[in-house]
Amino acid sequence: MIEARGLGKRYGEHTVLAGLDFHVGRGERVALLGLNGAGKTTLFRCLLALTGFDGNLRVDGEPVTPGCKDIRRKIGYVPQAAPLYDMTLSEFVAFFAGLRGVGIAGPAAILADLGMPLERTGAKALAELSGGMVQKTLLALALGSGSPLLLLDEPTANLDPGARRDFFRTLRELASDATLLFASHRLDEIELLATRVLVLHEGRLAFDGTLNGLWRTTEARPRLWLGVPDGEIGSVTAALETCPSVSALRPDGAGLEVDVVGETTLDVLLTVREQGLPVVEFRARPPSLEHVLARLQTDGPAEPATEERE
Amino acid sequence: MTLRLLARAGVRDSMRAYWFWLNAAIFVAGGLLLMLFGQVDVFLLGYRSYGRALAGLMQLALFVVPLMSLLSSAAAIAGARETGALEYLLAQPVTRREVFAGKWLGVAAAVVASIVVGYGATGAVAAAKGVPGLPIAVLLLFTVILSAAFVSLGLWVSAVASTRARATSVVFTLWLVFLALGSLGLMSAFVRWGLPARLLQVWSLVNPIESFRLGMIAMLEPDASLLGPAGAALIGALGRQGLIAAASGSLAAWALLGYLAGRRAFTAAA
Repeated sequence: MIEARGLGKRYGEHTVLAGLDFHVGRGERVALLGLNGAGKTTLFRCLLALTGFDGNLRVDGEPVTPGCKDIRRKIGYVPQAAPLYDMTLSEFVAFFAGLRGVGIAGPAAILADLGMPLERTGAKALAELSGGMVQKTLLALALGSGSPLLLLDEPTANLDPGARRDFFRTLRELASDATLLFASHRLDEIELLATRVLVLHEGRLAFDGTLNGLWRTTEARPRLWLGVPDGEIGSVTAALETCPSVSALRPDGAGLEVDVVGETTLDVLLTVREQGLPVVEFRARPPSLEHVLARLQTDGPAEPATEERE
Repeated sequence: MTLRLLARAGVRDSMRAYWFWLNAAIFVAGGLLLMLFGQVDVFLLGYRSYGRALAGLMQLALFVVPLMSLLSSAAAIAGARETGALEYLLAQPVTRREVFAGKWLGVAAAVVASIVVGYGATGAVAAAKGVPGLPIAVLLLFTVILSAAFVSLGLWVSAVASTRARATSVVFTLWLVFLALGSLGLMSAFVRWGLPARLLQVWSLVNPIESFRLGMIAMLEPDASLLGPAGAALIGALGRQGLIAAASGSLAAWALLGYLAGRRAFTAAA
């Protein structure tokens, strides 16, 4: 669905994308990972033919030519920030469905599935809708136009946790057949949705593989969050500091965040149980993005780390 | 289809802005007042002359139309860029040329609508008082060309400016420059620095506000005292028809060249 060969982009002296080579197959769900400025949005702009670039880029077999609009019929796009239009929801949907050359029926049916039937919400001004509702509308437009490729540029960055969960549940249910390339800072979202991860670092492809492969390559381990009652943080910290499975721990909200050594998460929990520590709750957390990127930067190979696709 | 959708959205955007109704109100109120009180000589002096009312209408258009055309078009691209609306729009199957054309059509249609509403009300009162409709129709037509010229200029600025505020301040400065550097305003500078009179005449045709004024006066009442020194020299050199053609040509050139320059700037931004 996407084929990039030597894809590069410079703004003056600043290199944003430095000769990327990658391929995204039909039906794949690929997460694009990277810190701000890594080149994620520029890559999307290249795919959407919004900017010029070096190298070759193809979408669904068609070469991407900067400024050419036809390639965008193949791409449904959901940006990070909801665009501000002084329109009602119905006007907005009709306008963009019209531009994409599809009827309003497709997006309207998806909106109805999402609990936003136009008969009920269509008269509301876009500005009156919550961020989650607007992002759902953009998703409905992207899905409802039948585009085979969905590009999502940190679509939930401005949403609260509930809206974020809703958005991804919807995406998983409704975009089961679409090819997906989505940028995110959140490893939990990636874990939920992606079958493959591309890591961009300073314009270079630093990793291409599965999420588990990324953990292995970077020796990243899940973290544990332990809920501890007030006044007990000190005693639990002291007890866990002696546990060989714990490499570091720090207070975090109403509890402790624990970095686990190796694949020994269960050992930490067993220690908690055996010592009768006053832990009332626990949650597994994915490794931090900063850790992953730092490892790729410092220990990573010169060539992008790749692994056998699953 | 795409262009129609974009233009319709542009009209809707413009008509939702307060300036649209403000300008329509200024046109209706100003036009009606001028038509009602500009003819006081009809009753006091016993002769029928509508020149004063029409000159008043022309002055109204000369001040208001360039400003409203510039302000509305300045917001069209720079404002959309700021809110993320432009980026999302351009991610759809549309070209930058289509977007620019749609913005131009949308803003121009809304401005022309507000002019038509204003002149329409004035024309209705004028017709009821027995004033011939042709001069008002001519004024309307020339005002529409004037608005097209300034919409093009404003969109050009909007395509280049990084923010809406910057675009607005630039077009406001442009409006002041064109107004201040009219024939009479520039006379003192030419006398002060001893510049050639020919230059003043050329500038009078290049300045779209001055072109509009000269063209309108030449069409309605080609009086040398109204035309001013540069206008009088121009009508002497070009004749009445020649001056009308030159003034119309200047406005049309501003509309076309401003459009092309703006479109080039907008498409080059990719």
